[in-house]
Amino acid sequence: MSDNTDSNDTSMNTVSGDKKVHGTVAEFTTVDSLMDACRKVRDAGYQKTDAFTPFPVHGIDKALGIKPTILPWIVLVCGLTGTAVALTMQIWMNAIDYPYIISGKPYISLPAFIPVAFELTILFASFGTFFGMWILNGLPKFSNPVFTDPRFDRVTDDRFFLYIDAKDPKYNQAGVEKLFGEFGSDYIQSVVEDDSEKKIPGFMYKVWIAVAAVSIIPLLIGLKMRVTNSDQPRFHIFFDMDFSPSKDAQQNTTLFADTRAMRPDVPGTVARGQHDVNFRTGIDMDAMASIDGVRAERLVRMLDDDQPESASESEESAPETTKSVMDTTPWLTDNPVDVSEETLLRGKQQFGIYCSVCHGLNGGGNGLVNRRAQRILAATWVPPSKLHDASLHADVYPDGKLFSTISNGIRKMPGYSAQIKAEDRWAIVAYVRALQRSQDASIDLVPKDQLEKIKKQQAEVEAALKAEADKANAGAESAEEETDADTSDAETSEDAKDESA
Amino acid sequence: MSLAIPNGLDNTVERPGERAPLVLGDTTYHDITETVCQVAERKPSKAWVIGFLISFLVLQWFVVCILYLLYEGVGVWGNRSPVFWGWPIVNFVFWVGIGHAGTLISAILFLFRQEWRTSINRAAEAMTIFAVVCAGTFPGIHVGRAWLAFWLAPYPSLNLWMWPQFRSPLLWDVFAVSTYGTVSLLFWYMGMVPDLATFRDRSKNKWRRMAYGLLSLGWSGSSRHWMRYEKAYALLAAFAAPLVLSVHTIVSFDFAVSQVPGWHTTIFPPYFVAGAIFSGFAMVLTLMIPARSMLGLEKLITIRHMDNMCKIILATGSLVGLAYGTEFFIAWYGQVREEKFAFTNRAFGPYWWAYWTMVTCNVISPQLFWIKKFRTTPWIIVLICIFVNIGMWFERFVITVTSLSRDYLPSAWAYFEPTWVDWSMLIGSFGMFFTLFLLFCRLMPIINMAETKATLAKQIHIAHSNGEEH
Repeated sequence: MSDNTDSNDTSMNTVSGDKKVHGTVAEFTTVDSLMDACRKVRDAGYQKTDAFTPFPVHGIDKALGIKPTILPWIVLVCGLTGTAVALTMQIWMNAIDYPYIISGKPYISLPAFIPVAFELTILFASFGTFFGMWILNGLPKFSNPVFTDPRFDRVTDDRFFLYIDAKDPKYNQAGVEKLFGEFGSDYIQSVVEDDSEKKIPGFMYKVWIAVAAVSIIPLLIGLKMRVTNSDQPRFHIFFDMDFSPSKDAQQNTTLFADTRAMRPDVPGTVARGQHDVNFRTGIDMDAMASIDGVRAERLVRMLDDDQPESASESEESAPETTKSVMDTTPWLTDNPVDVSEETLLRGKQQFGIYCSVCHGLNGGGNGLVNRRAQRILAATWVPPSKLHDASLHADVYPDGKLFSTISNGIRKMPGYSAQIKAEDRWAIVAYVRALQRSQDASIDLVPKDQLEKIKKQQAEVEAALKAEADKANAGAESAEEETDADTSDAETSEDAKDESA
Repeated sequence: MSLAIPNGLDNTVERPGERAPLVLGDTTYHDITETVCQVAERKPSKAWVIGFLISFLVLQWFVVCILYLLYEGVGVWGNRSPVFWGWPIVNFVFWVGIGHAGTLISAILFLFRQEWRTSINRAAEAMTIFAVVCAGTFPGIHVGRAWLAFWLAPYPSLNLWMWPQFRSPLLWDVFAVSTYGTVSLLFWYMGMVPDLATFRDRSKNKWRRMAYGLLSLGWSGSSRHWMRYEKAYALLAAFAAPLVLSVHTIVSFDFAVSQVPGWHTTIFPPYFVAGAIFSGFAMVLTLMIPARSMLGLEKLITIRHMDNMCKIILATGSLVGLAYGTEFFIAWYGQVREEKFAFTNRAFGPYWWAYWTMVTCNVISPQLFWIKKFRTTPWIIVLICIFVNIGMWFERFVITVTSLSRDYLPSAWAYFEPTWVDWSMLIGSFGMFFTLFLLFCRLMPIINMAETKATLAKQIHIAHSNGEEH
């Protein structure tokens, strides 16, 4: 800190009368006369000099030979410290000590750390600038020999002072005064030691100490409370935040007409352990319990834990054993839902949404996905089952098993229990049964009046398709399929009516 | 020492090859000292006393409202689902925006060597600090449990066992606003030290001398001190200039990083910064023009100063207008249904009155400054600036409330209505602002005397060298 050697430091070489002389000042009234004097003093070989001005005078550092300041380097170091502190802090806090995952970004996500790093760089650099400047200037310094002269008060108003310190090797009081005289200064004075009795009054210290002592008390109380236990109940400053006005069980309230604070269950609420397990698994659970108590218990528990209802939970891992397990399972043989026209229409709608993409609208196993897979020769494709196949008829493949397959999937088919409600799955089961029947039924089963209508429709559709096929002269294959689908569709809906009637 | 200005008090006329004078009349260094010091030294005028009493009363009301809020909870505000950022955030952004002009004048105009800043920078910096104080109050009380606001600080907490989340713009905001407040305070205080020394050296009263003596840190006007001081000042200006741009940028991130329609746009940072400068300059002029005539500072704060500031208001006001237009263009061009709706809703929805108030005040009124007569007539400037301030408050209201009140889920839409506490706090914050500003006028040097004297010295120097040429 060679930078910090101010010329007006306390040091006594010369004594004038009974007061120590620190140096000599001369007063000037204009910037130009001061600058002239500065240059001449510098050229005369004085080094411990200084000028005092009411505002910064540009070029005076050169005129006096003042070295540039090292302040920018201090500031640079402070600024870099700020950057380092900010980055270290953020990485430590958010990536190492308490890792947060935010928006799937990496733990050390630099772009998000830039704003705070920028702000702390500026903050530290500004502190460096502010405090560095005062420290280099040796301020605050309330006692300064130049202040002893009342005339010096005008330095902050409109007067300019040039000062030569007594420590200067060339200093000689009479010589300096003569030199200053040559510059045309009308006020030349020795700067003497401040020996006045003016001091900060003693009681001020007492007040400061008292204030400091009092201000520590709350902090100490807080600290004590932090580290000790108390058998007193805690304060409740915000009573309603500690004791919420919400009601407890069995209390009254004026908010509801029935004055009960406990509210009845929302319609459709199912209590834990109160599932209709047969309905949700497709298995006769009482029978199951007698065959395989452990498995029955597990299936019921899985329902309670909000797991997908699964009768074939081990199917993928152990296909061999599964087969026998599946065979011995006591499947429900009756659809627990009332099979009405409404149910079948619901089943048809749900089948159309979820099943038809693979199984086709008529359940023939040739949905759009299957056709696409055939066309691109997908190697891993397992064709969807033809739902009309005899192996899927109710006598060998009970309703409960079909329900379970829809719920849990089979082979490549995923389970649909998450997408389709249990009632709707049963509706699909009913609809699939109707589809199966439609494919094997004889035409005599259709009532006479409906038969006429269907035949008429069929003829219309065929005629329209034929006309279109002739016109396009291509794509006959797909047209045929569509006809198939349409007819079977029409037939099944008739069937359904039949069945419900 | 004296210098005759041929064109009297009108220094807005450009004379080719000459710099327009910024200190008018036969002003000397001593006159500058006298003009500025008399403001603090003479007895307070009746207008000051009345103004102070009113502001102080309003401030007390603000304090009462804050205590009521702390006792009762944030339900006393109009903040309801879906508008949880109601007036407190509107007021916060409004005040932070106003707080931008001071540091901009001090730092950016200093770096560009715009000497006309010298006589207005001090009051503008003070205004900045007081505005930041007002701004900081609102998020502090908006956190709900204001006595736990210190949880925002990254300190090893034994209650939480966790750290703040540094990827959130809201935390960046904490750092940005507190850094800005701190640096502005340092800048303001450092700039004031030489003038506080002037106050010290002029005080007759022992206590006054001691108080100003402590504040001025023993400043002696040494050339070595001045050299380091000027270096430090330039460095602080260089830091404050990007800082000022970063603060409102980060404030705009509070909105832009979210996904709310009408907020999620990349134009927000420049748009917010332009708006902040715009509102800040308007507030500086609103305060300076009455202060100038009441405190007799016409020779130091000249018509040219106001003329220049009006030009900045015109420029930033046009930028803000451009930003409004760009927002609409992007909403249409982007073809996102919610965005398109958000902007149609702003202009023609239930808050149409707020939107069109904003457009009238912010886009149309500053255009009057194209006319020189309007830039040089003080009362017209004040009138337009008050409109600009109203408009800028409405801008924040429009952005915050219209977007939140109608976002993605129509079933959650609601119309925001402020309560009496909202109103009281908006008015109360003005009470705090004016109380602080009026105290500043009485106790501190409201014009940077040292820099103004340096400007005068330069003016004298130029006049002398011109004289020698003839």
